[in-house]
Amino acid sequence: MATPITIGAAGGEYMESVVVVEWRVKPGDTVKAGEVVAVVETAKAATEVTAPCDGTMGRILAEEGAEVGVKDPIGLIGEGELDTPPAQAPGVTLPAEKAVPAAPAVPRKAGRVVASPVARKVAAREGVDLEALAGTGPRGRIKRRDVEAALRAGGAGSGAASFAEEAGPLAVTRGGGGEGAPILLIHGFASDAMVWRAVERALGKVRPVIRVELPCHGQSPKRRIGSFRELARAVTEAVDALDAGPVHLVGHSLGGAVALALADTRPQVVRSLMLLAPAGLGPEMEGTITAGLCRATRVESLAPWLKRLVGDPAIVTEKYAAAAMQARADARLRAAQTALAGVLFPDGTQAMDLTAALSRTAVPARIVWGKADALLPWRHAIAAPGTVGLHLLEGIGHMPHVEAPETVARILQDLIAAAESGGPR
Amino acid sequence: MAIMRYAEALNAALREEMERDPTVFVFGEDIATYGGVFKVTAGLAEAFGDRVRDTPISEQALTAMAVTAAMTGTKPVLEIMYADFMPLTLDALINQASIYNYIWDGQVTMPFVLRTQGGGGVGTGAQHAKSLDSLVAHIPGIKVVAPVTPADAKGLLLAAIRDPHPVVVLEHKLLYNTRGEVPDDQGPVEIGRARTVHEGSDVSIFATSRMVLEAEKAADALAGDGISAEVIDLRTLRPLDLGAITASVAKTNHAVVVNEDWGFCGYAAELSATIMDHAFDDLDAPVERVAALDMPIPYSQPLEEVVIPNADRIAAAARRALA
Repeated sequence: MATPITIGAAGGEYMESVVVVEWRVKPGDTVKAGEVVAVVETAKAATEVTAPCDGTMGRILAEEGAEVGVKDPIGLIGEGELDTPPAQAPGVTLPAEKAVPAAPAVPRKAGRVVASPVARKVAAREGVDLEALAGTGPRGRIKRRDVEAALRAGGAGSGAASFAEEAGPLAVTRGGGGEGAPILLIHGFASDAMVWRAVERALGKVRPVIRVELPCHGQSPKRRIGSFRELARAVTEAVDALDAGPVHLVGHSLGGAVALALADTRPQVVRSLMLLAPAGLGPEMEGTITAGLCRATRVESLAPWLKRLVGDPAIVTEKYAAAAMQARADARLRAAQTALAGVLFPDGTQAMDLTAALSRTAVPARIVWGKADALLPWRHAIAAPGTVGLHLLEGIGHMPHVEAPETVARILQDLIAAAESGGPR
Repeated sequence: MAIMRYAEALNAALREEMERDPTVFVFGEDIATYGGVFKVTAGLAEAFGDRVRDTPISEQALTAMAVTAAMTGTKPVLEIMYADFMPLTLDALINQASIYNYIWDGQVTMPFVLRTQGGGGVGTGAQHAKSLDSLVAHIPGIKVVAPVTPADAKGLLLAAIRDPHPVVVLEHKLLYNTRGEVPDDQGPVEIGRARTVHEGSDVSIFATSRMVLEAEKAADALAGDGISAEVIDLRTLRPLDLGAITASVAKTNHAVVVNEDWGFCGYAAELSATIMDHAFDDLDAPVERVAALDMPIPYSQPLEEVVIPNADRIAAAARRALA
């Protein structure tokens, strides 16, 4: 057994290694504890190394000129090899820092999406709805990888990833009362059947009312729609299935374009046609509004866009906006509408053209348009042939049935009366 | 190309500048006859005589003297033995050196270099192991460099001496004996430029001084887990290389900042806030901070190892960022 000669305190501070300059003893010499056995040079100075115990000098492990680590033995006292490794400093375990609890993701507060900034940036750029995603980050945070996984799953394209296609018929609800040919209502983009409430109240229960909800809207299934033609066909099939006989057809905005297409392909079921700020009569539109509506996930971001839809922003009260957001709370619904907008309004343009259908229409028809419409220019109404009556409302925006329900109801009743006075068609 | 120790590289910079510019002089405690505690100034007294001065122990007076000397046409290089003694220099640094160029509208330059060394890791106790980086980096008008490699030690000290403004050179006691290649023609290294130690794509580790070496070890460990870490040696604490920082975060979306100073109100806090100011939209997780624990640096080495940041803590922070 041998005892190591180490640099010990002679190494000084901050040194990782020293150079052995000189050995004062040679193997076989008798040494006493504390006797100088070697000289080493540190970065500071040449320093003497002393024997740790009495004994006979054994092997030299670092010859003169050799560089050794400060903890390494440079030689041995006694026979044999070094058999006890140098003692290690006791290990100290670092307390875990900010340990992330392994608990499952905490359910997210409604209306508050927890996502990293870059995840938000990528989602906004790619049109992915964050609310439809499940985050894999700490405490359920949505990270970039989650957005990218959603994009991969759904393929490229805006919002394509965020909803699953549903089957089933379009949602149809009924109301009104009385007798005669029913009024069939088709709402606009990003809206639903509820929007007709004010007009129905103004009409009174004089007629049966049938409300159809567009695909990806209200209670209708979320379908992947590839073109306006597909959208119109879906509504036409729903109306065919109703077998309700001739109807007085009312369509608003995108619903107006659909109504026009329906009147064009099924003139036998349309007794009269009323178009409220209809789409499809020109390419211009304010695409930022539809994009803003699709994007909004909270009342705060939805309300400013709702105000752009009306002539008098005061109509959009907090309660109104909250109700509208409530109706749009389902992220899959918003994703489906975003995808639909991408098809119908590419680059903020009305891709469908129904001016020919309007010029062909033989049923009694009227167009009602607010002159303060910020979404679709009311001048598109001028595309109408002379047989179509135009009602241009001063100070009214894109939602005449919400902003001026009595006026709309009165015009509708006039139209119905005129259409029916001509006798059965 | 020569292999040099960090201390030798600093010595070479001082020697070259003293040869090149007769107004450069070096002074401090035990730096002439003894050659400095870390032998950075070894041999200079023999070569340059009176331009290398031993001084009494009075950091306050020495710094004030350096300010006056710099104002009046010479280039003082002052060595403060330990960063722990920096508080004594602060009146002259904060109330004089940092502001004179400004308040006298550029009529006064301040080519003053203050060299000091900080950091722990070898059990030198609470009064000899601090890293007071934020103390000096906080002051507008003072540049702060912290070289890690011998080449940068030479290049940044050259640049510091030639700079017309006050520059604090933060060295590290554990770096003096590290070796590295120093090109024979190693000239000044521009102050304010970070150095990409190696590129990576998953997480950016921004480190200063010796922590760069720990960051490199952490990156090796992370590579074993298939995580590609980019290690950036900031080299200059002030002014910061903002472009290098934002470019790296834009690439990796995750940032870990590492500094040996304390975390609370520390330099790592500044780095973290800077990243959030300038690269928020590129972040995929909160910036992770790795700094010394909030307590005096222990004398006991096993305890000191716990307090001072190391590769394991850096790797853990990177994993948290990527969680």
